[in-house]
Amino acid sequence: MLLCRVVGNAVATQSHPSLDGFTMLLCQHEDEKGSALSEPPFVAIDLFGAGLHQRVFVSTDGIGARGIVRDEHSPVRCFVQGVIDDQQP
Amino acid sequence: MRIGQVIGKVTMSVQECAFRGARWLVVNPLEAEQLNTACEVEPGLTKQPSLVVYDNLGAGQHDIVGFVEGAEATAPFEGPTPVDAITVAIFDRIDHQPYPPEDDDE
Repeated sequence: MLLCRVVGNAVATQSHPSLDGFTMLLCQHEDEKGSALSEPPFVAIDLFGAGLHQRVFVSTDGIGARGIVRDEHSPVRCFVQGVIDDQQP
Repeated sequence: MRIGQVIGKVTMSVQECAFRGARWLVVNPLEAEQLNTACEVEPGLTKQPSLVVYDNLGAGQHDIVGFVEGAEATAPFEGPTPVDAITVAIFDRIDHQPYPPEDDDE
């Protein structure tokens, strides 16, 4: 599971059929202090409606992702597993 | 799923029989600062290593695609298939707003 921040979204009219109806979010991997790591953002599917610049944690478990999209033949791997509460100062 | 630009294709006269009729693309992963404009303006090559990706969406040259690497790439196939990367989406628009936001509001 990765600690990430939502930094945008991506729109695709042509995609694997299992992704139809799911939002694709750009997620930036972060360290525990909330600063972005150097790697470029990646795409994860979202079920919860996570907002821009919210912190989320993303699962990279392909079996779990296939269960979520209910397609045993889906190549999807990353999905937003939860939205993290804003931390207190 | 990572994001990359199609920069070429690969054809083979001899290949594993599971791949009969397959399309293979050469994909160059994009950097973060190229994401916003990638679908309109052709992004340049990045320093990230390009890779060969199986394609069954019909992505063409310079298309911006999302690709998955690893075991999940074999999931769409019926039997065991030695595939390591597959295209999952052809992007029309990518909206990237880095955090923390830059103060360029006017």
